[in-house]
Amino acid sequence: MTPSSTTEPGASTPSIDPDSVWVCPVCDLIHEPVHVEPGYGVVCRRCGHTLYAPKKDSIERTMAYALTGLLLFIPANFLPVMTLNILGIEGTGSIYDSVTAFWDQGYYFVAIIVGLTSLVFPFIKLSLLFIISFCLFIRRYPSDLPAFMRLCHHLDEWAMLEVYMLGILVAIIKLHHMAHIHYDIGFMCFIALMVVTLSSSVALDEHLFWERIEKRPR
Amino acid sequence: MSPGELPQQNDQPLTARKAGLILCLDCHKVLPKEMEGEHCPRCGARVYSRVPNSIVKTWAWVITAAILFIPANLLPIMQVDYLGRIEQSTIMDGIIYFFQEGSYGIGIVILTASVLVPCFKIIGIVLILLSVQLHWKSWLRHKTAMFHFIEFIGRWSMLDIFVIALLQVLVHFGNLSNITAARGATYFTGVVIATMFAAITFDVRLLWDD
Repeated sequence: MTPSSTTEPGASTPSIDPDSVWVCPVCDLIHEPVHVEPGYGVVCRRCGHTLYAPKKDSIERTMAYALTGLLLFIPANFLPVMTLNILGIEGTGSIYDSVTAFWDQGYYFVAIIVGLTSLVFPFIKLSLLFIISFCLFIRRYPSDLPAFMRLCHHLDEWAMLEVYMLGILVAIIKLHHMAHIHYDIGFMCFIALMVVTLSSSVALDEHLFWERIEKRPR
Repeated sequence: MSPGELPQQNDQPLTARKAGLILCLDCHKVLPKEMEGEHCPRCGARVYSRVPNSIVKTWAWVITAAILFIPANLLPIMQVDYLGRIEQSTIMDGIIYFFQEGSYGIGIVILTASVLVPCFKIIGIVLILLSVQLHWKSWLRHKTAMFHFIEFIGRWSMLDIFVIALLQVLVHFGNLSNITAARGATYFTGVVIATMFAAITFDVRLLWDD
């Protein structure tokens, strides 16, 4: 983007070329675009919101993290997380089992919300991130790309892997007095899945992705 | 580094609305105000200078959350069956259990996530709504920071539900001991969802409008 001077001082409503300004999404203040190096960020003059913080190698890194996440997804959610042993009786289960347990007891609303936030949304988000970054990487631009990107944006706060991770830790603290806990492969995979999912969100440079999508050859 | 300055209008900060521009909230493209209500050419989302009926919708979600908050805290959310003795516990019971056990750290984490955060969210959003409607123009940066904090912590209230989700799968020992969810869990999930929607439907730019 190139900075340009667009306003006539003194005019009541200066006509500004929409493509020549940045607007703060929090306080609506207009800013003149500036060049920002990866690793730095610019904040809004009035409210302090981060307007733009470019990421280094965003496309490649997002793609790598999202692909790793997709590979980990099945073992993390469908393999047992841990095994409890009380007097020789064992209790074990996976993240997926924890969703169906709510359903089986008749807590349909809770089951649906837990299922969406811990399984469905994280999976859709990783898949979309992979598809989008892969498309940008090989420079193919299917017509659904903007819709994917928007969906990804809205799913952001509904995918709650890190909250589930804290839930696992709390459960461990609750149980470790009364039973012997054996950590299964699903536990390690879930930790890795959470770290990789967070990393993919951090690596995503939405500004750059949208710009690449906009400038796609049609 | 700071973004370049644009001329200000009569010492008033120049906002997109005053300049006849609209920001697409989905992809952050800047569009002329003639596009109001139409689809963004870049991402396809409908663009509005301010989210329509944002205040009313946010009030609706906050009031929903406040109503659900009562059964969520009074009804038991978890049921422990130990050697045939059934014991139901509310959120507060669970927190008191940790404090009695001496696990203060984890007790504080759950107290924060399950009780303080939903309370803080409901009160915080009500304060922000009132400050928009009654034109309280002070502490804008602080109120904005509070709103972002509310947005960020919303999801962490699901913690207790996830703990129960896992416990009921792991503690499943036939006649010896079982953990299951109880009625309050549905209301509690409802509180979390309602407060999250309250934060999503609120257009924070309204705070800054004169």
